[in-house]
Amino acid sequence: MTKTVLTVDDSRTMRDMLMLALKDAGYRVVQAEDGIHGLEVLQAESPDIVITDINMPRMDGFGFIEGMRADPNHKATPVLVLTTESDAAKKQRARDAGATGWIVKPFDPAKLVDAVRRVAA
Amino acid sequence: MSDDPFEAIKVTFFQECSELLGDLEANLLALETGQGDGETINAVFRAVHSVKGGAGAFGLEDLVRFAHVFETLMDELRSGRKECDDVTIKTLLRASDVLADHIAAAQGTKPPVDVARSAGLVAELEVLTHGQAKPAAPVAAAPVEDDFGFTPLTLDLADFGDPVELPSLELPSLDLPPLAAAPAAGWRIVFRPHPRLYASANDVSLLLRELARLGQTSVQLDDSGLPSLDALDAEDAHLIWTIDLSGDASEASVRDVFDFVEMDCDLSITALAPAASADLPGLPELPALAAAPVEPDFDIATLLAQATAAATDMTPAPAVAPAPAPIAPVTAPKPAAPVVAPAQAAAPAAPVGPAPVTIRVDLDRVDRLINVVGELVIQQAMLAQRVMESGLARSSDIALGLEDLELLTRDIQDSVMAIRAQPVKSVFQRMPRLVREVAEMTGKRVRLVTAGEDTEVDKTVVERLAEPITHMLRNAIDHGLESPEEREAAGKPAEGVVRLAALHRSGRIVIEIADDGKGINRSRVRGIAVDRGLIAEDAVLTDDEVDNLIFLPGFSTAETITDVSGRGVGMDVVRRSIQALGGRISISSVPGKGSTFTLSLPLTLAVLDGMVVAAAEQTLVAPLSAIVESLTPRVEDIHYVGGHDAVIRFREEFVPLVDVGRVMGFRDDATTLNGGVVMIVETEAGSRAALLVDAINGQRQVVIKSLETNYRHVDGVSAATILGDGSVALILDIDALVLAGRRKSNRPELKMAS
Repeated sequence: MTKTVLTVDDSRTMRDMLMLALKDAGYRVVQAEDGIHGLEVLQAESPDIVITDINMPRMDGFGFIEGMRADPNHKATPVLVLTTESDAAKKQRARDAGATGWIVKPFDPAKLVDAVRRVAA
Repeated sequence: MSDDPFEAIKVTFFQECSELLGDLEANLLALETGQGDGETINAVFRAVHSVKGGAGAFGLEDLVRFAHVFETLMDELRSGRKECDDVTIKTLLRASDVLADHIAAAQGTKPPVDVARSAGLVAELEVLTHGQAKPAAPVAAAPVEDDFGFTPLTLDLADFGDPVELPSLELPSLDLPPLAAAPAAGWRIVFRPHPRLYASANDVSLLLRELARLGQTSVQLDDSGLPSLDALDAEDAHLIWTIDLSGDASEASVRDVFDFVEMDCDLSITALAPAASADLPGLPELPALAAAPVEPDFDIATLLAQATAAATDMTPAPAVAPAPAPIAPVTAPKPAAPVVAPAQAAAPAAPVGPAPVTIRVDLDRVDRLINVVGELVIQQAMLAQRVMESGLARSSDIALGLEDLELLTRDIQDSVMAIRAQPVKSVFQRMPRLVREVAEMTGKRVRLVTAGEDTEVDKTVVERLAEPITHMLRNAIDHGLESPEEREAAGKPAEGVVRLAALHRSGRIVIEIADDGKGINRSRVRGIAVDRGLIAEDAVLTDDEVDNLIFLPGFSTAETITDVSGRGVGMDVVRRSIQALGGRISISSVPGKGSTFTLSLPLTLAVLDGMVVAAAEQTLVAPLSAIVESLTPRVEDIHYVGGHDAVIRFREEFVPLVDVGRVMGFRDDATTLNGGVVMIVETEAGSRAALLVDAINGQRQVVIKSLETNYRHVDGVSAATILGDGSVALILDIDALVLAGRRKSNRPELKMAS
């Protein structure tokens, strides 16, 4: 069955790149532009996997993941964090918030799909 | 547009970059004027961060490097480790200029960025970040590769929650040959998840699946840590897996499988001896290793039976899977889990409104829609006219329904035009940089104040505004403002103010560019105009007229053609480009106080408010904006200058009379002034003329159809339209018509009927 991936990123470029890579790999992709939008789409679409950026307006990736984990329906949905941050503290925060794994930007489409497969049953 | 999706994304990236640069600059300027807060700094950070992210994806190394240094400083600022003072903001503004240049260079629209300039700013940014410049090398090496990269695994046993309960993790001691001597025949992986591994939605079965991809695996589950069901905490972790992986997978590839979870588990990876894969002689007490999926060796049925008695309030019963992910299904969230509304928890400072929902639509589609709606308007008007002609009563159902239709049509038209409308912000946002550069070049101190950035106008108009505004701002700083010393001597603040404002006024957009400089030096302007033969030496001109002399072709008041406003473009060119958009420009000036340029433009280039007139049995449309008033001329008002140039007396003033039918070539003979009407019009140059037509048929909004596209250029005509009766009417180009009138008026042919 086709799996749905929710991508949350305020950058149109990044959303397009994720869309391209994931669609090629046969995923259905739904998109959101920030954390709050992401939580809305999450409710509407119940995706199988979520990929989120960290730095976003209105609500950042940490807040988004925390909000997601607070919802019993999405507690066990894998979340990959997109990041270029070299800051270990930031990585730690993402983990504390409940991130399943991460994807380092810039990403190679194959690696991206690999990471998604790794966390998606 | 390229078919390559990657190239298409690149196009998107550069579009996004230009938006980000706009936001970046607007936010920096807000900080500069003290209107910014923490979120503003955050927004700047995000903008730079997004540029860097995209640039990294496209391998734009120079851009990535510069953005990285910029971003690092922004990170310091937003974390509060560094204060965002005036000097910093000034540097950030210049950095945003260089960032823009890097982007333009990456896009290929500008030459590569001057290395020294870029490096200079990098150094400045680093001084601000670290208090001193770092050597160049780390900057180049810093950004991409180390990000969230692999960190060596540290197995910290002190992290174990309660050591007493833990089964021993000690590995059987193996007599291993040195690794270098013989490659490992495989790996023994002992893996003990922490509760957090499950809480972050990682799944042991997936990890095992990944390992199985690397080679043959045999997995053993140690469930000895599993408490009895009544003591079981569903969110705790109790299981330990031991996986023997045979094959030639490298240790790094094995570690890579655990990349996401290495901090959330205890993991040990040891090499298996070459012989070990066969019979594992050195391993004590290991039961036979099953190659098949793991069966937990406790009896779930028994446990579940116990559970019905023991855990009565535990709803619903945890569905324990036979496969190796026994803890994953979770019953209910812990009370400790965050229950606060996520929005409040995460972004207390950010105002939370509904996300602006937008879609991106190809402009061609919008234009097609606009075109079709134009046709609809015409069709509707034709229908209305037919109905009127059929003699139906105005109160009839058909006529009333038609009226409703007309309202709807107009509504649709307005709505469609609104799709093309864009705020002038995109143009205004480019100006601060220009002002900074011109100020630097001229040694003047300038503050740019903008207002009305959200004023909307048709996209085409927005795009064509940039050049005239740029030019006028240059002029305002270069010619309008005084040097700081001069200003102080005149009792003004050293810093000059240039104001750029946009507003809607009577169906047009008005752009004002005002400076508080010295104003127009009228005696000098006059002198120059006389020198260049633009006016007669003894011409009597009002102050306004003198000021407007600067719009005449070939006029330039700069004593030296400066690098700034020189470039061979005068205000006459600006005026022409404004006129090409159907706009007007004027100036008012107060000596010592400054000058204001006012630019007025139609909101759209697709529809026009026109006056439908008839001349020599042709239907024509005159732009309403040009018409001052209309009147029925009396014979005694018409005079002939030099015996042939017809003029008409209008408010104690003589204006040239243009016989539209003849000038347009619709007829050869002179008009017999019999029931004719005169429209007093104002040309873009501000001079007046009288257009003589046969009749005025009323005011109408018309859809502009290009004549050039569909036919060819016709002198005196700016475009065409289709009227309600289906006939094509030409839209008059007033200026061209008046000019043509002057050329044709050599013959005294205007006969007057008594």
